[in-house]
Amino acid sequence: MKLNAFYASLLGASLLATGARAEGNIKFTEFDLPNGLHVILHEDHATPIVAVSVMYHVGSKNEDPQRTGFAHFFEHLLFEGSENIGRGEYMKMVQANGGQLNANTSQDRTYYYEVLPSNQLELGLWMESERMLHAKIDMTGVETQRKVVKEEKKQRYDNTPYGQLLNVVYENAFTKHPYRWSPIGKEQYIDQAKLDEFMNFYKTFYVPNNAVLSIAGDLDVNQAKEWITKYFGDIPKGTGAIPRPTDVEPEQKAEKRVEFYDNVQLPAVIVAYHTPKMGTDDWYALQLLTQMLSQGKSSRFQKEIVEQQQKGLAIGAFMIPNEDPGVAFMYGITNSGVKPAELEKSMLAEVEKVKTGTISDEEYQKLMNQAENDFVTQNQRVSGIAENLATYYTYFHNADLINTELSHYTKITKEDLKRVANKYFTKENRLVVYYLPKSEQKKG
Amino acid sequence: MKKITISILTIALALSASAQKLDRSIRPKAGPAPEIKLGDAATFTLPNGLKVFVVSKHKLPVVTCSIQLDIKPELEGSTAGVRDMMSDLLTSGTKTRSMEQLNKEIDYIGANISASSDNLNGTSLKKHFLKTMELMSDIAINSDFKQTELDKIKKRTISGLEAGKNEPDAMLQNVSAVVNFGTQHPYGEVTTETTVSKITLADCKKYYNTYFHPNVAYMALVGDIDEAEAKELVTKFFGKWEKANVPVATYSNPAAPSSTNVAFVPREGAVQSVINVTYPIDLAPGTPDVIKARVANSILGGGSNGRLFLNLREKHGWTYGSYSSVVQDELKGHFTAYAKCRNVVSDSSVGEIIAEMKKLSSEKVPQDELQNHLNNMAGTFAMSLENPQTIAQYAINIERYHMPKDYYKNYLKNLNAVTTDDVLAMAKQYINPEHANIVVVGSKGDVDKTLTRFDADGKLDYYDNYGHIIIPGEAKAVPANITVDAVMKKYIAAIGGEKAVKGIKSIKTVSTSKINNGGHEMTLTITEEKANGKFKSTVETSGMTVQKQVFDGTKGYQEQMGQKKEMDADDIADAKNQADIVANSNYEKDGVKRTLKGMDKVGDADAYVIECVDAKGKKSTEYYDAKTGFLVKNLHVEEGQGQTFTVTEEYSNYKEVPGGNGFKKAYTVKQSAAGQDMTANIESIEINKPIPDSEFN
Repeated sequence: MKLNAFYASLLGASLLATGARAEGNIKFTEFDLPNGLHVILHEDHATPIVAVSVMYHVGSKNEDPQRTGFAHFFEHLLFEGSENIGRGEYMKMVQANGGQLNANTSQDRTYYYEVLPSNQLELGLWMESERMLHAKIDMTGVETQRKVVKEEKKQRYDNTPYGQLLNVVYENAFTKHPYRWSPIGKEQYIDQAKLDEFMNFYKTFYVPNNAVLSIAGDLDVNQAKEWITKYFGDIPKGTGAIPRPTDVEPEQKAEKRVEFYDNVQLPAVIVAYHTPKMGTDDWYALQLLTQMLSQGKSSRFQKEIVEQQQKGLAIGAFMIPNEDPGVAFMYGITNSGVKPAELEKSMLAEVEKVKTGTISDEEYQKLMNQAENDFVTQNQRVSGIAENLATYYTYFHNADLINTELSHYTKITKEDLKRVANKYFTKENRLVVYYLPKSEQKKG
Repeated sequence: MKKITISILTIALALSASAQKLDRSIRPKAGPAPEIKLGDAATFTLPNGLKVFVVSKHKLPVVTCSIQLDIKPELEGSTAGVRDMMSDLLTSGTKTRSMEQLNKEIDYIGANISASSDNLNGTSLKKHFLKTMELMSDIAINSDFKQTELDKIKKRTISGLEAGKNEPDAMLQNVSAVVNFGTQHPYGEVTTETTVSKITLADCKKYYNTYFHPNVAYMALVGDIDEAEAKELVTKFFGKWEKANVPVATYSNPAAPSSTNVAFVPREGAVQSVINVTYPIDLAPGTPDVIKARVANSILGGGSNGRLFLNLREKHGWTYGSYSSVVQDELKGHFTAYAKCRNVVSDSSVGEIIAEMKKLSSEKVPQDELQNHLNNMAGTFAMSLENPQTIAQYAINIERYHMPKDYYKNYLKNLNAVTTDDVLAMAKQYINPEHANIVVVGSKGDVDKTLTRFDADGKLDYYDNYGHIIIPGEAKAVPANITVDAVMKKYIAAIGGEKAVKGIKSIKTVSTSKINNGGHEMTLTITEEKANGKFKSTVETSGMTVQKQVFDGTKGYQEQMGQKKEMDADDIADAKNQADIVANSNYEKDGVKRTLKGMDKVGDADAYVIECVDAKGKKSTEYYDAKTGFLVKNLHVEEGQGQTFTVTEEYSNYKEVPGGNGFKKAYTVKQSAAGQDMTANIESIEINKPIPDSEFN
């Protein structure tokens, strides 16, 4: 099983950034159990499969700075079994019953899901309820997963060219807010942690009142409700308050510049600007702006920097869907022989053009059409629908955004685009990272 | 009403449920198995031969069109990468639309259109689909390739190759392709800076003009569209696409290696190794073995229930994941077991992968383990049907690979009929670690040395990121007073001194050898050399001459199994080198550039490593024993049958030759290449016994 950390890839993150759907409705039922568990059900009988998922509202931003990597480590630990599921049985059981499963952790939430043949819905519910009620947390499991997580870190970050790209940005862009560390965290903290710390983390965050159970597919709503009540109804509500970060990142007053060396062949340039949080009008406008810069071959970065100037090999701009104020992220990998400063200059020139130049009606309409296309096509699978419903509820307490979010984009005007560019894409508000080959470091 | 909140009912249910204590140890039973309905695809063929398949699904207002070409293009050879260039050019403008215009029109409707060398795909919202089809037809029929675009694409490709040079999975993929398939097969061709620089616009145009025709194409239309609509659209936009005779190329027939071979790819700064245990297999789509072989593979390395995952990750914590695959393919399939693990457990991981492969092909799998995998595969099949594209692809596969019409309809039935005996038989047939390439990308110096035990001849082949054989440089420093000159002088002294060497006027050597490949064939090699640059070598097996090389000082020929071939200029140059029996005493003048690279171990002994580059640029590496001065090892790269391989020769058992005035020669030479080795022992040497010139005609 690939237990993914948050950033599967830059592309993945950019895809995550848009949401929901326009035409046709995703109909759903939602309710709360008395213990606070929020449940969302979507019925679709086209294929005899069902997606069962639980989203816990805990990510790396809920961690103690001396225990970074905890939330992600937990994602691994919760596959170890429960009082009624033997060690190593969790994954086996799903697969042996014809299902697939996975999980991932971001800065803001942890997500578990199974896709099963629809006659195994009850099994999926029992398994997720076991995980929520009494997961097996012991030193044997901790030891196994310590090793696995270290391998994951090596594979995804240390041994992958540009693997540290997002980590470097967050570590440097944030000084106070817990986004300053990444979900993978630091190895030594997991090694230092004691068993009771793991137990406390579980009792604090893995409680029904901090979770959304989202199910989509070939199900009977009444039958599903009966089973949900049977298996989740007796899970006790969490007793303590759920800690949420209160640190506010202070406004950045001057440009930050960083050089980072890694095992890469070609230098990369990253420009990141602080932004407001996801769901605000300005965030939607910035999302459209990054789309204007880099989505499709006619986008400004692609057309100007890749095609015309031939300075960039690959280039992109996207919003990272953060619950708290995050960053707008732009990156370019230089073409062979191009200096990072030249590429940076070209990227910033395009950013300036947005602020002072004109946006044609045609380009504006293109952004709207792209947003609509992305909005519709992300609900093609029941697993996608289950996750989108859970996401909208977790962050906005409004699962119906799966049907209505597009209106947040369509109300953005051309003037809004220029306004947010001028407001956020300023020199003082940006971080510039040169991501350079290690060989250049030796030259001093 | 979109949202229904029923809290009262929920509370009532919750209360009633908590009234009786739930026994959580009871695992819920599955409900009755749902019926899996495999929808049909509607199909029609245009007069120009384009076969179209339509699958309707109206839940979302989205339509996808994909065109697949059923072609066997000629090998790319020295212009490897031409197919990729061509696919980039495909979407870079048409006779009626500049690239800028085309990009603008695609982006404006929020569509995605992408191309590769044998397919073209487009997706958009239903309301923009007419436009999408218009653009796709323009690309398929009217593409217009321009030099300026090719130049840009080449530049980007070269940068991309540069960026990927140190990317472990890309390196692994290249080298696996080369060792599995060789360069005479389309799956073994690797794009490099050199091949890219040779690609011309004419090459790209030729490919497009030759292969992009409707009579070799399948089209799938899937989503919010029905047959009548599809027919109208396809006729309108693709009816004018012209058919043509499309040639079909033939390729080599790669086979698994005769014994286990380790290919090591050094990677700078590696903290993990990436591993493939891999070899080509014959497994064509739709054949009876496919389902059974895939079940066997699932048990070995399919997902987190596979034995590889349970062993390497869950039991040992060596890796984040380890998987295997059995790939069916019309031309040539392959088996691959994969893991990524940290440096110090690389060899242990290879060992466990091999152990699991052996176990599966020697022991029957328990019934419950088999059943779990059958359930899993059945579930995966059901899930794949969620995507209407799958139904279209199944219909195309049946047609394209001449599969039984009911292949997919019977898939679950055939899957559930697989037995533990079937699995064992499949494993014996397809899972064979004794004939495998073990490709490892990792840190040179620590990881490679731990892997020799897996190689049949104990010698690793080293490759660069593109799958070219390399002779790795050695790191250990040489004492300051040692130079190339000193090493060579010491060598000459060791073999008897300059006087003895120069005193040799002719030499005839007879040696016997046995190929160490389970074969029992003895061969007899006779070499005759004369100081005036004449040379002859004869190889005999069971009294038959199988190979002969004769050189009279200016010209010569080679004969193999009765086939005679005159030497060309290159062969003559090689022969001249070989015929110079006192060459080593003339080392300063023989045109070979020698560089002292460092020190390394040969066996337990320290040796000086000298890199030699001859006048033609051909490299070899020589190892001279630091203590005795003898030449103990030579590495060089040879080509043959579309593969390159390192040849290692080890010299030992130096003895004085009778009548040679102290001249010494290595009486034992062990030669290894491509997983085979052969040891030759000298039976007799005659020195300065006259050999008539007529022997060399």
